[in-house]
Amino acid sequence: MIEKYNFLTSEFQKDSPREMMLLSIISQSFFQPFSLADNMLVILTALTSGSGVGFNRAMLFLKEGDRLRGEMWLGPRTPEEAGYIWEVLSTPGIGYVEIIEHNRALVSKNEDTLSNRIKNLAFVMNEPTCEMVPALAACHKEIYLVRDAFREPLIDKKFLEIIEVDEFLCIPLVARDEVFGLIVLDNSFTHVPISPGDIKLASLCGLIASNYIYSATLHERLLEAEKMAAMGEMAMFVTHQLRNPLVTIGGFTDQLLQPKVSRDKRDRNLKIIRDEIRRLETIVYQMAHFLKVSLKEPGYFDVTPMIAAVLQSPEIQARARSYSLDVKIDSGLPQVLCDPTSFGEVLRNLLDNAFDATPSGGRITVRARRKSKTSFVLSVRDTGKGISNPDKAQMYRPFFTTKEKGMGLGLPFIKRVMDTCGGTIEVRSRVGKGALFNLAFQTREGGNST
Amino acid sequence: MKKILVVEDEKTLCLLYAEELGKEGYAVTAAYDADAALAELKKKSFDLIITDIRMPGKNGVELIAQIMGLRKDIPIIINSAYQSYKEDFMTWAADAYVVKSSSLDELKTKIKELIGR
Repeated sequence: MIEKYNFLTSEFQKDSPREMMLLSIISQSFFQPFSLADNMLVILTALTSGSGVGFNRAMLFLKEGDRLRGEMWLGPRTPEEAGYIWEVLSTPGIGYVEIIEHNRALVSKNEDTLSNRIKNLAFVMNEPTCEMVPALAACHKEIYLVRDAFREPLIDKKFLEIIEVDEFLCIPLVARDEVFGLIVLDNSFTHVPISPGDIKLASLCGLIASNYIYSATLHERLLEAEKMAAMGEMAMFVTHQLRNPLVTIGGFTDQLLQPKVSRDKRDRNLKIIRDEIRRLETIVYQMAHFLKVSLKEPGYFDVTPMIAAVLQSPEIQARARSYSLDVKIDSGLPQVLCDPTSFGEVLRNLLDNAFDATPSGGRITVRARRKSKTSFVLSVRDTGKGISNPDKAQMYRPFFTTKEKGMGLGLPFIKRVMDTCGGTIEVRSRVGKGALFNLAFQTREGGNST
Repeated sequence: MKKILVVEDEKTLCLLYAEELGKEGYAVTAAYDADAALAELKKKSFDLIITDIRMPGKNGVELIAQIMGLRKDIPIIINSAYQSYKEDFMTWAADAYVVKSSSLDELKTKIKELIGR
């Protein structure tokens, strides 16, 4: 027999060991697509979750450049609030999702008070502040338990004025020997002394938090590097695409400036120059099109008139003359979810690709049909050269093209549109056997009505 | 007359090069891709090869590697729209790298340096 379990448990047994509960909350949170701030909130939540379990308040500093900056301070402001919160959190059936939601509200509610009190608090590391707690803990990468804080000369005065407690624990957030921040914990309401057990548990949370911040930072750096690489690739490609027509225009213009140019040569050169300028216009148009920051929001619309408009456009009509164009659009099509203009451009791009891939005399087939109660499929099939498997793997990458004068922006654009409207693309193709693109869109029932 | 093979997928550029280098006294043969260039090289001999990098099918670097397998003694000029590859051309076994420009002066100078008129 095989039993299946979920990673996420919706609620905790009241009698679960507190270590188990705390680690569960944290690891389940990392399982979710939460932001760094949300996950930090979860860690602080775990450290302050409930009466008698964990600490009363948790303060988070994150390292920003050479500074430790106050980021978040979680906990009740008054003993009354503490009592109320702990009562809520110990209500049977309250799961970690509710606890986090509760604390998220608490943090925003506390904007005026706790978190805000530390927002302007920053300690420069490697400076004299590093001689003082709490920055000292981060600088030395050591856990410090401070007792009798008001009599301890090594405590930063400004910090002490804010925290107003005589016992607190500093846990530096360290991963791969790099400091990422600091957590400060106290029991300002219950005044329960911080035990060695509390320190063990808090340090474990600190380790988990550090490793989480470390991997999140790495991920962010990776995304940034990928973005820069893509930008570099784009700049290089655009330079290349622009330079070829410019060289041609410049070269043939120079010829025109030479003495005794025959009429035939002049006409030929002017035609070449005009064609290259049109090519530059296309490149600029496509770039502007692709670089549009956001596509329009998708909405439901009637596809039939849009498909007809694209097919009847002069450019498509002109190109279609050399092919056998077979169009079949079902009647009574449902309304389709997409931005209508983007839909038209998608079809135009698919047709352009089909024409480019297919030798004159080939067949291009366009089909528009209802696939199921909730989906509509637009298909474009050609009898052209087909797409090889390695090309299939790369065809949605911007600037990847197999065309002599292509920009490699058509299919990435189609992909963006389909992603935006929650549609899918299915491609069937074999080299030499043509290609079939099936684009599936979501639909709304009600036929052609608007 | 010195013979030059121009490998370039832009047909209008091939035309420009054929006319302008023709005026300088060179006989230019154009090949629109690497395979056509290899076929030309098997048919007749050339004094110089000018090749683009980014072409459909095999690129210029792959072409140079194959030319090395055929004949190592033909000087090769890479003529590309990519400025950023200029540092790498020595490792690709080319003799010169000229970034495409509407003025063909640099290209003409390099040709003269490598094979004379």
